[in-house]
Parts: sequence; structure tokens; C-alpha cells
Amino acid sequence: MQSSSQNKGFRWVLLMLFVSLFQTLSFAGLLFKNNKLDLELLYIFLAYMAGQWVYLLLNRLITRRRDFQLEIIAFFLSGISLVVCASFNNNFALKQLLAIGLGLLAHVLVLLMSMSTDVAMFFRIPLALASIGLLAANLLIAETTHGTLNWIEIGGFSVQPSELVKIAFVFVGAVTLEKIQSTRSLTKYLLYAVTCVGALFLMRDFGTALIFFFTFVIIAFMRSGDVRTIFFATTGAALGGGMVLYFKPYVVRRFATYRRIWENMDTGGYQQTRVLIYMASGGLFGLGLGEGKLRNVYAASTDLVFGLLCEEFGLLLGLAVLVAYGLIALYALLAARQASSTFYSIAAVCAAALLLFQVSLNVFGITDLLPLTGVTLPFVSRGGTSMISSWGLLALIRARGLFQAPKVKGRGL
Amino acid sequence: MRSTSRRAYALLALILAFFAGVIILVISLFDKGGIWTAKRVNAHLYSGGQIVNAGAVYTADGEILAQSQDGKRLYSKDKNLRLSTLHTLGDASGFISSGTHSLYREELFGYSFINGIYTLKEHGKGNDIYLTLNSKACKIAYGALNGRKGAVGVYNYKTGEILCAVSNPTFDLNNKPKNMRMEKGEAHEGVYLNRLFSGLYTPGSVFKTVTAACAIENMPALDSWRYECKGQLQTGLGLVKCPSKHGKMNFEQAFNKSCNCAFAELAIEMGTEMLEGQAKSLAFGQALKIDKTTSAKSILNLQTANDLDLGWAACGQYTVLANPAHMMVLMGAIANGGSAARPYFVEKIVTPNKILTYKAIHATEDSIELEADKAGKLADFLRSNVVNGYGNSSFPNLNMCGKTGTAEVEDGKPHAWFTGFSQRDDLPLAIVVVVENGGSAFYNAVPVANRVMQALS
Repeated sequence: MQSSSQNKGFRWVLLMLFVSLFQTLSFAGLLFKNNKLDLELLYIFLAYMAGQWVYLLLNRLITRRRDFQLEIIAFFLSGISLVVCASFNNNFALKQLLAIGLGLLAHVLVLLMSMSTDVAMFFRIPLALASIGLLAANLLIAETTHGTLNWIEIGGFSVQPSELVKIAFVFVGAVTLEKIQSTRSLTKYLLYAVTCVGALFLMRDFGTALIFFFTFVIIAFMRSGDVRTIFFATTGAALGGGMVLYFKPYVVRRFATYRRIWENMDTGGYQQTRVLIYMASGGLFGLGLGEGKLRNVYAASTDLVFGLLCEEFGLLLGLAVLVAYGLIALYALLAARQASSTFYSIAAVCAAALLLFQVSLNVFGITDLLPLTGVTLPFVSRGGTSMISSWGLLALIRARGLFQAPKVKGRGL
Repeated sequence: MRSTSRRAYALLALILAFFAGVIILVISLFDKGGIWTAKRVNAHLYSGGQIVNAGAVYTADGEILAQSQDGKRLYSKDKNLRLSTLHTLGDASGFISSGTHSLYREELFGYSFINGIYTLKEHGKGNDIYLTLNSKACKIAYGALNGRKGAVGVYNYKTGEILCAVSNPTFDLNNKPKNMRMEKGEAHEGVYLNRLFSGLYTPGSVFKTVTAACAIENMPALDSWRYECKGQLQTGLGLVKCPSKHGKMNFEQAFNKSCNCAFAELAIEMGTEMLEGQAKSLAFGQALKIDKTTSAKSILNLQTANDLDLGWAACGQYTVLANPAHMMVLMGAIANGGSAARPYFVEKIVTPNKILTYKAIHATEDSIELEADKAGKLADFLRSNVVNGYGNSSFPNLNMCGKTGTAEVEDGKPHAWFTGFSQRDDLPLAIVVVVENGGSAFYNAVPVANRVMQALS
């Protein structure tokens, strides 16, 4: 991956054609419902199809790259989210198309912000302040929604600021650890991390707080090997302890039904039992898009979307989606190994770890292998900020790949 | 830098942990998917907690007991068939836990790990289940009970097929009564219970077959054993009584006349341990496998029994309790030279594409230990009961062997029992009849047994 020669064998056009074929097939059934062509949906689908091809071709022309594995995986997953949304209604689909567009925009922005370590350094403080400001604003205006305070409404769209902060959190963490740091600047980062996680405590968003905490531990680990490690570890433990204490009533309630969902089928285990029942009903090949019953359960297109995929598309597609996340993480691992600086290395590992951790909390949470925490499935759950956050984090994995490799041929932007 | 990139392998650990979780998820789906699918809240299969979409259930003679059409569960058009097969079929809400609808839910839904319930969803059909029941025998047994509570069971002791399984009280699946009164003594007492499989009754004299087995094993001089019945037996603690003075008899005659005093005397001679041991080897205290369910455990507990208690226990009174299906299998073991077939009621399961996915296996009920020569002697005694006691005319052309029981109970008339089997080669059937508070066994249980056996003959 260091040089483009390694990627000569990678036929991205072929893979993308294959993904497009899958997308066309899964959309076809929706377009012709009731023997009538749904024009609006057709336009949405064509816009998406065109969007992903144009993005890749432009990318190819501008950057001369062809290793679009990450992008194609993300388009595959985003395409599934669009199909799922379209199977509910066209309004969902339109909003999701917009979300994917915004996600791509965020992706490009993050790529530009991390085009070199110097540029990244420049954005460190503004991003840190912006994210804290966002969380503070969230705390001030948010209404409690479903037991958490992490949503705000802007012009008919509900926005989850903590999703956007994820990108900044990894970005700031990675860039701070890039240069040999003074203890003072490290302290500043710790302060930043504690503020972010603290704000999530106050929002009672246990799932996201857990994801931030986990990411913090990974960042600390990536930087470990000196006195600062102990500093990190202590802070980490304090954060973790504080988290458990703060969420105690909540945690206790979660654990009350965890591994006991069948005894609490109509209370705390409602969503998990339905997910398992309908996942099993779907078999390996699914009952067909729109034929499932999980879609009638609350949060079917957001938190429970993996269950819906398995019921309607089949377990095999569900597994393909999970393998896709594994591939993203594997790509990040290889990228980090070959990265030209610590910033890219840490950014890739932490962004991938965050994504995979969130996937685990989601998929294993709704299937009762872990306690249910109510986090979204990256790229696939319906929702704008989740999509933006997923694509933004993907850029942090991609960053090294996009702007460092062409150095071989002495090319910049 | 180098150490940082080495630490990137932490991500590998995370990836491996993630896929370990994925594997666990797939394994649990493989392992429990069927159970999960069959949960009553699965809207693909149930509506209002009732099965709506599932395969059909047939009797051995081709009657449709249940089928699904247009999202509705439909039952046999024959009301008496609905009433007589209710407990074997089971209701769509699963109140009757030992019914086919409950035990074979996954199969009826046609669930498989690979296809989920796609077949059912696509063809509106699950797997069809073919029972071993004979619709005619079930209806006749139900009619012969004539509204009285009780159970009738007939099975083939060579193969294990249950041909007749009737439990009353019952209800009509097409017209389930609201507010059924299920308290003790009321019309629908224990209506969801399959009395054949799950009932426990004081056995009365049918238990004398067990005492007889014990005597054959432990009384070497049984052939020359003689007893004179004076209508009662003084045990020191109280009296064991007979309805009348039976006079001088050998063992066979005592069995024919069902003489309480003679059997009490024998039991007291042998002692509690011998009788308990014999009962245990004939599967008292054990739940017998019946298809996917099990029978209630018959009970003989003589731990605190004195001679009077032992004497009455030998006659199936005291605290002895017997399960009708167990008694039926015991008769089967005696009839079949000591080894009975294990009873079952599902013969085969067929997918909508006519692929056979299940065929009943003929197994031996191994919890009953009975030597062939002892079984032969018991069969002779049971045959003698019919010939010399109840009369061959009670069972025309059936070559029946058997034992009646008129079990005294605290409240109401005695339970009327008949347990027996046919020795005809073309009719290898064992039968049990219990009529709760039916009164005299000879007048109430024997005619039921005869009518059902004639229907199958």
C-alpha cells in the first residue's frame, strides 16, 4: 500500500461494478412496487449511483490513485442504508441520500485537514474548541430524548453533536501525540478528553461515553511506553470509575435484563428478543426486502438495523456487512504499519478501533451478547450525523493513504 | 514511531475479538434459531398468541386435524374428532403443553437454519405432520367415556404407535368455551392436562399386576401357595378387607378374584423392600419418554408404611399413584415378552416439497426391566383373569388379557380402571382405560376398553 504499484492488481472498477449490481438488484424490487415505477425513488437511486461513481472517478483523476477499497466498502454499506430507508418511505430515503452526501463532504474535509501533519497541527486547537462548544451547546438546548440528552433539532433534522465530536476526538488525540509533547500540552489533551467524556456523562449517553472512553484508552495505549502512560492509565481508570458510578442506576437496569431477555420479553428485553426471533426467521437468505416484521419494532431502521438486514436480506448479507467492518479495520492496521508519521498511524488505528467497537456494541448489544447500549451501526443506521461521523472517521483511516503515498513520485495535492 | 506501529497490532486483537463474537452469534443462531423463531411473539407465525401459519396435522387414517389457510388455523370439520384429539393435537395458544402444536412448533413452521421460515412465508405451508392416531378409535373412546372424566390410551406394543389417546374433559377448538371452570371437581378441571400422559390416579387393583410380578420373583413356592379369604385380614394395626369372602384359593384364583386379603398377605410376607424394588424395576418413580414429552412419574413410597399400609399398597390403595400411559406401556411389556416399544404419536414429518424430514424410530422402553419368563407367567395370569374373571364375552374375539381396578378414593365413587392387551398376532395392542369416579371397573371400564379394541380389530 506504500506505493501504488502494490495496488496495481486491485481492480476497483470491477469491485465497484459488483457493488453497483448488488445495489441495483436490491433497489429493483422497491422501484416496481404495485406494478408502478416509483419515479421519485428512481431519481434517488440514480443520484446515489451516479454520486458514488463520480466521486471515485474524480478521485482517480485528481489523486491518480486506484486503491479505493475503503471507499467501496463504505459505498456498499451506505447503499444498504439507503435501500433500508427506501423500504420504509421515500422521505427517509431522500434524507439518507442527503446524509451520505454530507458524509462524503465531511470525508473530503477531514482528508484535507489531515493532508500533512503541519496542516493537522493547525486544526488541532480550533477542532478541540469547536467540539467542546458543540457539546456545551448540546447540553444547553437538548431536550431529553429516550432517556438521553444527546439530540438537538435543527430545521426538522435531528442532530446528534456527539457523533460529530467523535471525529474531532480522534483527530485531536492523534495530532497531539504526533509531536514530542511537553507535559503541559499533554495535560491540555487530557483536559479535553475528560471534558468530552464528562459532557457525555451529563447527557446520559452511556453508549457514546463508552465509545469515547474506549477510544481514549486506545490512544493512551498507542502512546504508552513512558511516564505519561501511567498518567493516562490513572486518568483512564478515574474516568471509567466515574462513568460506572454516574451511570450506576442505568447500568444496573441494563444488567437486569442482560442475558435474561427471554424472561423480560415485553420489558427490558423487548428489542433484543425481537431481533433474535426475526433474525432466526430470516434464515441465511432472508424473507425479502419489506417482508420482515422487525421493521414494525421501534428503532428498526436505526439501532436495530442489523437485525432487519438479517431478517430481510438474510444472515449471509449480515455477515458480509460484518466482514466489511473487519476489512476496514484490517486496512487501518496495514495503513498504520506503513504510515510516515505517528499522527497517521494513531489516527488510523483509533478511528478503526472506534468504528469496530461501535459496531460490536451495536450488533452484540441488540443480540444480547453484550448489554444493550443503543448506539448506531456505522454507515448503515438511518441518521445524518451518524453517517457524517462514519465517513469522517473513514477519512482518518484514509488520510495516510491519500496524501502520503504519492510522495514516491514527488506529487503533492 | 516504530513502537507506535507495532502497537497498531492492538487493532488485530480487537478484530479477532470481534470475529469471535460474530462466530458466537452464528453458533447461537444455529443452536437456538428454531426455539427463537417459534416464540409466541413472532408475528410471522402467530396472531394474538395463536398459531395462524403452520403445516397441517393428519391422523394415520388421513383425517386432517389442523391446517392453515389464508392466515387462519382451521380444524377438522368433525366435532367429535376435534374433541377426542384435542390433547394430542394441542391448541394453537400452547396451553396444552404436551400437544403436537406445542412440541412440534418448529417442525410445523418448517423452520431451518438455512431458510428460516421462508418456505412458510412463501408457500403459506410449513411441514406437515402425520400422527399415528386412528380417528375412529379416538372418537369411539371419547364417546364411550360418555362425558365422564378420564383417559383412554391404546398403543402398538411392537412398534410404539399410539392409536388412541383421549383425555376428558376436553373442549372444542372451533368453539372454545369462555370462562372454563377448572377448579377441582368442576366441569373443566385440568382441561389442559393430557390425563393419559400427565394424569396420576390411585390405581386400585390394577397395581396387583405389580404385586403379582413381585410374588413370581420372590415366592419360589407360588404354584403351591394357598390362601383362605375370610373377607378380612387382621394385620395387628387394622383390617384389610375384601367385598366378600373369597374362600380357599391358589394364587391364580386370588388374582382372578382380585382378592385384597390374599395380596396383602403376600406383600406382608415379602416386605416393603421387595415390593418397592419390584415397582422400581417396572418404572415406578420414572418418567417414561413418550414422543417428545414424558409421562408423569408413578409413585410407590413405602418408607413409613406399616403392615396395614403395605397390605393396602399391594392392592393399589394407600398412597400409591399410577400414570395411565405408564400402565399401558407396562401391559405392552408383559404382552411383548418383557420388552415394550416406546410409545410415540408422530409418525413422520414431510416438507411442502414432499421431502421426508422425520420418520419415527421404533425404540424399546428400557426403563421397564422385565424378564421374558416372568412376562410370560404374568401374561398367562392376565389371560386367566379375562377367561375366568371378566369372561371372554366381555371382549369377543380379542384374545384379551388384563386386569381391572376399582380404586377407592376419598371423594366420590371409585375410579374405574382397565389395563390389558390383546394376544392376537394381528392386533398387538395394549390398552388403558381410566374413568374418574366411574364406579365398578367391570361395568364402567371394561366396556369402554372393549368398544375401543373392537374398533381397532
